[in-house]
Amino acid sequence: MATAATRSSSSNSEVIVLGIESTAHTFGVGASRWTSAGPELLKDARRNYVPKQGGILPREVAQFFSQVAAEVVEEALSVNSLTPRDLDAIAVALGPGMGPQLRVGATVARAMAAALKVPLVPVNHAVAHLEVARYTTGLRDPVILYVSGGNTAVTTFVEGRYRVFGETLDMALGNLLDTFAREVKLGPPYVVNGNHVVDACAEGGEFIGWFPYVVKGQDVSYSGLLTAALRALRRGAKLKDVCYTLREVAFSAAVEVTERCLAHTGKRDVVLTGGVAANRVLNSKLDSMARLHGGTYRGVPAYYSGDNGAMISLAGLLAHLSGVHVEPERAFINQRWRLDEVEVPWYGKLL
Amino acid sequence: MVWEASMIESWASSLTLLKRGAESEVRLGDFMGMKAIYKLRVSKPYMDPALDSRLRAQRTLKEAKVLSVALARGVRVPRLYAVFPSLGLIVMEYVRGPTLKELVGSPGWESLAEDAGLQLGLLHSAGIVHGDSTTSNMVVSDGGVTLIDFGLADFSSELEDRAVDVHLLREAVTSTHPSAAGRFMEAFMRGYSRALGEGAAEEVSRRAREVEMRGRYVASRRSVWAEEGGEG
Repeated sequence: MATAATRSSSSNSEVIVLGIESTAHTFGVGASRWTSAGPELLKDARRNYVPKQGGILPREVAQFFSQVAAEVVEEALSVNSLTPRDLDAIAVALGPGMGPQLRVGATVARAMAAALKVPLVPVNHAVAHLEVARYTTGLRDPVILYVSGGNTAVTTFVEGRYRVFGETLDMALGNLLDTFAREVKLGPPYVVNGNHVVDACAEGGEFIGWFPYVVKGQDVSYSGLLTAALRALRRGAKLKDVCYTLREVAFSAAVEVTERCLAHTGKRDVVLTGGVAANRVLNSKLDSMARLHGGTYRGVPAYYSGDNGAMISLAGLLAHLSGVHVEPERAFINQRWRLDEVEVPWYGKLL
Repeated sequence: MVWEASMIESWASSLTLLKRGAESEVRLGDFMGMKAIYKLRVSKPYMDPALDSRLRAQRTLKEAKVLSVALARGVRVPRLYAVFPSLGLIVMEYVRGPTLKELVGSPGWESLAEDAGLQLGLLHSAGIVHGDSTTSNMVVSDGGVTLIDFGLADFSSELEDRAVDVHLLREAVTSTHPSAAGRFMEAFMRGYSRALGEGAAEEVSRRAREVEMRGRYVASRRSVWAEEGGEG
């Protein structure tokens, strides 16, 4: 553990960055350390906003975030036996995400950086998901499928940045599954014992065909699929068959665009990251596809698949060491900050 | 005798492999005494078998339709010899020659760039977009350009889809031959205008610039395998 004493004796080789995540429904704070052996994830703390009823209202989440922010920061420091003076920089996810929530994290980060007189590091939330996946899987130059409630993108590093080779043209994969589950009253909750309710329902289902499978180049589209699935139910199809077919079509399309990216770039390894990364069926499909190309597949560990502060601190650490900083008064949030707008100067060097 | 995918796959695997893409294997063989390309869409182990075979059939049929419509409209593309949608197999003319990519900079290359423009323009007038229009997918034989590899092609007359074709080509040329890119695109647009008309070509060119300005990488490819009436 990095106590103040060990730090003073090795202050040249060791760097610690605190990272703050507040883009959606998780307020998370994590820490990462750089030693001569490379980057290292330390423990993190997090609080999830769970609505008492209905969906998520950004204002309510933001209010919850401001109530818990101080205790989450304190917890993240204490579980790592750190004091504020041990921090070399504060990193914060400035986007993409929802405005009210992002403002809470940005405010906390700006205040901490100013009070501690340490640099403030802007982190792209999506890039953080990618970096924590590369770090934890040990696959350093993979094609990455990033799927969560709000994201579905196929990306890989080319010439200085992560390039989006394919993405959803409308709904994200997680959103598709959740929306369908809600419409047919399988959820909420959408995930039970780590298994999505649509997955559970698909057990023993059969492929009923003719749902739209839309792959355009390396992009996917899911809204027509949702409509077709709901229509099939109204016409009397069995729910388990509809769940099975919906899942098959949606996952296959995502895996196919990942495969196209692999063939296009000539890379071999495949990584899955984001909130949907724990899905067993999607994991096995990607594994089978990667083997086809003689590569290795790994998914990000479940603990780091959802939103968390640890990944922000990791990306923040790498950015900090690469000299990526922002003046606190210019640290604006950006709700639509695309991952392919971010320079990644540390790729292949620090990680 | 009923042909099954496994039989054709094992037979095709004896032919010389020219290229292995994301969804197909391209092999060189013989068709009634002519050298021919055998393009086989291979089955995906990660898909439900019913979905897999449906997709391969649809896409094979779409590619074959695109090829025959393009040929009928006077675009230089490989001649279609045979199509077996349920096997995911297309047999077509083998067009032999260097790619346009290999010839940029060598004597007479600008007239080839102009011919590339003419061919893509003719394709667009035929209501087809290529979806992967790079100089690697243009083969030069008998002094003219033949467009190949229609795996991502689609029927579309949308301005956006046409512009993406032009943008992809510009991107390919710029990254491979930066110093010749300006003259290449000038020559290309001369040929393109001949096929599509001055005004329409200008409009496509303007939109292609917009596509470029959006600053996205290769994500803007378009190729729809829309729902069709199954295999023939």
